[in-house]
Amino acid sequence: MNIKSISIALIFSFISSMVFANEVNVYTSRHYDSDAELYSSFTADTGIKVNIISGKGKALMERLNSEGANSPADIFITVDAGNLWKVQKDGMFQSISSNVVDSVVPANLRGPNDEWVAIAKRSRVMYYNPLTVSAEEMENLAYEDLSDPKWIGRIAIRSSGNMYNQSLVSSLISNNGVANTEAWAHRFVGNFARKPEGNDRAQIMAVANGEADIAIANSYYIGLMLSGKKGDEQRAAARKVNLHFPSQAGRGAHINVSGAGLMKNSPNKANAVKFIEFLLSDKAQEHIVNNTYEYPLSANVAPSDLIAQFGTGFKEDQTSVADYGKFNPEAVKLMDRVGWQ
Amino acid sequence: MFKRYLNTWSILPIFCFIFFITPVLIVISSLFGEYSDNWSHLYNYVLGTYITNSIYLVTGVLILVALIGVSTAWLVTNYDFFLKNILEWALILPLAVPPYILAYTFTGLFDTYGTANNLVRDLFNLGREFTFFPKARNVPGAIIVFSFTLYPYVYLVSRMAFINQSKSILETGRTLGLNKFGVFYKLAVPMIRPAIIAGLMLVAMETLSDFGAVDHFAISTFTTGIFRTWYGMYDIHTAKQLASLLLIIAIMFITAERYSRKNADYSFAGSVFRQVYLLKLTGLKSFLAFVICFIPIFIGFILPILELSYWAFNYKLDFFNDKFISTAWNSFYLAIITAFLCTLLAIIINFSVRYKNNNILKFLSSFLTVGYAVPGIILAIGVMQLLTFIDSGFIEINIQFVLTGSLVGLIIAYIIKSYALASSTIESGYQRVNKRLDDVARSLKTSGWPLLTSIHLPLLKTSFLTSVLLVVSEVIKELPATLILRPFNFDTLAVYTYIFAAEERMYDAAAPSIAIVMIGLLPIIILTRMIRTSRPASRDK
Repeated sequence: MNIKSISIALIFSFISSMVFANEVNVYTSRHYDSDAELYSSFTADTGIKVNIISGKGKALMERLNSEGANSPADIFITVDAGNLWKVQKDGMFQSISSNVVDSVVPANLRGPNDEWVAIAKRSRVMYYNPLTVSAEEMENLAYEDLSDPKWIGRIAIRSSGNMYNQSLVSSLISNNGVANTEAWAHRFVGNFARKPEGNDRAQIMAVANGEADIAIANSYYIGLMLSGKKGDEQRAAARKVNLHFPSQAGRGAHINVSGAGLMKNSPNKANAVKFIEFLLSDKAQEHIVNNTYEYPLSANVAPSDLIAQFGTGFKEDQTSVADYGKFNPEAVKLMDRVGWQ
Repeated sequence: MFKRYLNTWSILPIFCFIFFITPVLIVISSLFGEYSDNWSHLYNYVLGTYITNSIYLVTGVLILVALIGVSTAWLVTNYDFFLKNILEWALILPLAVPPYILAYTFTGLFDTYGTANNLVRDLFNLGREFTFFPKARNVPGAIIVFSFTLYPYVYLVSRMAFINQSKSILETGRTLGLNKFGVFYKLAVPMIRPAIIAGLMLVAMETLSDFGAVDHFAISTFTTGIFRTWYGMYDIHTAKQLASLLLIIAIMFITAERYSRKNADYSFAGSVFRQVYLLKLTGLKSFLAFVICFIPIFIGFILPILELSYWAFNYKLDFFNDKFISTAWNSFYLAIITAFLCTLLAIIINFSVRYKNNNILKFLSSFLTVGYAVPGIILAIGVMQLLTFIDSGFIEINIQFVLTGSLVGLIIAYIIKSYALASSTIESGYQRVNKRLDDVARSLKTSGWPLLTSIHLPLLKTSFLTSVLLVVSEVIKELPATLILRPFNFDTLAVYTYIFAAEERMYDAAAPSIAIVMIGLLPIIILTRMIRTSRPASRDK
């Protein structure tokens, strides 16, 4: 073989050719190990190969955008309703027509025209130290109440760059308006126990270590910590805190979703719908709740015991998750204005 | 008058450049678009903080990096001391540690309940409220993180320059009454100033464009502002405009530096290479030199490796499987291919700039270099837009050929990203090759290609290898472009690490992080050996 033929062979091996096979192409910003097992199980059931590109949500959205009509993507999965709202607003999704979706997913957890659907739920809850905060003090405590001066120097929450916080503030704007939310946020930031640092688990650790009395963090983190997958230290810390579902006398606890949308130019549309239906099947839902400790969509599936012990019938905020995207830019600016780092 | 530019030595490079600078142009073109209302918000509330934090950060990093890089390079090229032969190459090791990994190590160690503070509490039986080490999540912490991971850029170029420095000048300095330290800061350092500055430029640009470490420390810098605007306000256009401002700052830096040495020629007329006599240090002096060289290695390499190993062995040992081997292989061959292509490109470009005094090319080359100051993912988006544009052209004329999501696309992106590293190394190498050599060669009828291959290349060997080394370590660590441009089901080690690190699952991220460092080490060790033997005077050793 001469150099020329070697280099031609090399070049060809480097070019991704368009192969029309029995497959579904997924762009996802969920990167849990357990999702890979889920995809293999779909392939085993249906013979449809799942091709994955994972990355940051906004970066994947740019790739979808610039690939345009030539995009090989069938499905976009992300862990924040705001991103789904944005992709839909840019006109890149199409309706998913599926009886499974209609029967499993409640309307407030679907995009307009069923262009995207939730595949798992999480709530943004409060964790408190039962040694320093009594159950009576926590009763019916809402997000809005955390601006009270009695909490000065007692609250731990991560930075405002985090999309879970952006969604929470967006939901407050959606319900209370910008001016009220800004006044609230101003006092709320004054109550922080420390400059925001670390992820949600770090906030729970701060409560366990006594650095703060109340932390705001997503519900599934306590499941992860209690499972022991994160080491003994985190399990021990998780056992020191209690979980509180906020706003039970009001709107209910803030809900966000992991969701999937069907791309407008999906080259494998039938497979894509099958894939979404699979994610909503009891088998897949069971797998998700026991690995990521999110809440299921399917009524037939119970949350993991590690999470269910804190209560399952809590009142959920019915605010449409699509609003989070709509108010997200305003939420970020508001947090800049009140100096939430 | 353009005729003199139109020949083989300029057409090819100019063609390359039009292609390669497009992504940078795409970013900069945002400046000519509309300015959204978000600008007034940025201006009123956050821009001031972004700018001051970035200035503190870059200034601090540059000072510390210059101190570490130049002093260690001087010690190892001129003195013999305790463990000097090991330290000489070990000083490069932090190059294999991405800044964000060191940032994670620092918080793991120095947070209130981090490993180091817990250790002190256990050792001295102190209460839980006692904290010995200060928190690292602030600007000084970030300065230390960047300095101890990036100083090798300055160390490498300074060492390369010190090695090739004419010893007779330094000896003349001694006979004229300068002491050893005087020789160092009055003669040796000023003579290699272009090399030091080239290294510092890279450090400044890398610090400005970094997102991972400053984000982890929650410091509001220009880069975190870019991402906040894009991710939070859904406004990528304003984000690109912010990134363009970074570009302009980089261009100003480079122009100022170019202008300041406009009339100076830093190549040596003599270029006399003689056997270098290393001065042997003994006793306390030997120990002191050892400590000065060991501290950067300890903080930038040993400390993170210890912490990562502790995490990895405690939590995740099942990582080293088939998947790991294919992932590591992906990282490895992409890095090697990119490094050679990129270095070759840099040599051809710099040769033709020198040979033809081609100012258009010189400008374009600098332009591509400043692309390094743009946060990786913004540049990656520019690259992606270029590739998808070409793809849509192919599809139009019915060619089944897709660059986006192909390895070719990925390599193009890597070359664009790391061209600055290759070019600045080759350029500072060329500055030390006397131009009179070219004239002599020309009078002996050696010009063009033969001049490059038989005269310049042997003289540039050290620079060539250094460039390959820098690009390899850059590509192995590269994340944003890989994430957004990679083919389906394709992972590199950096991607693997990111997937865990993004969720701050550092115990899971530890094993692939160590792997990045180890894979990065292979070429570093091999190339350092080659660089050492390429030292002209040491061949007869």
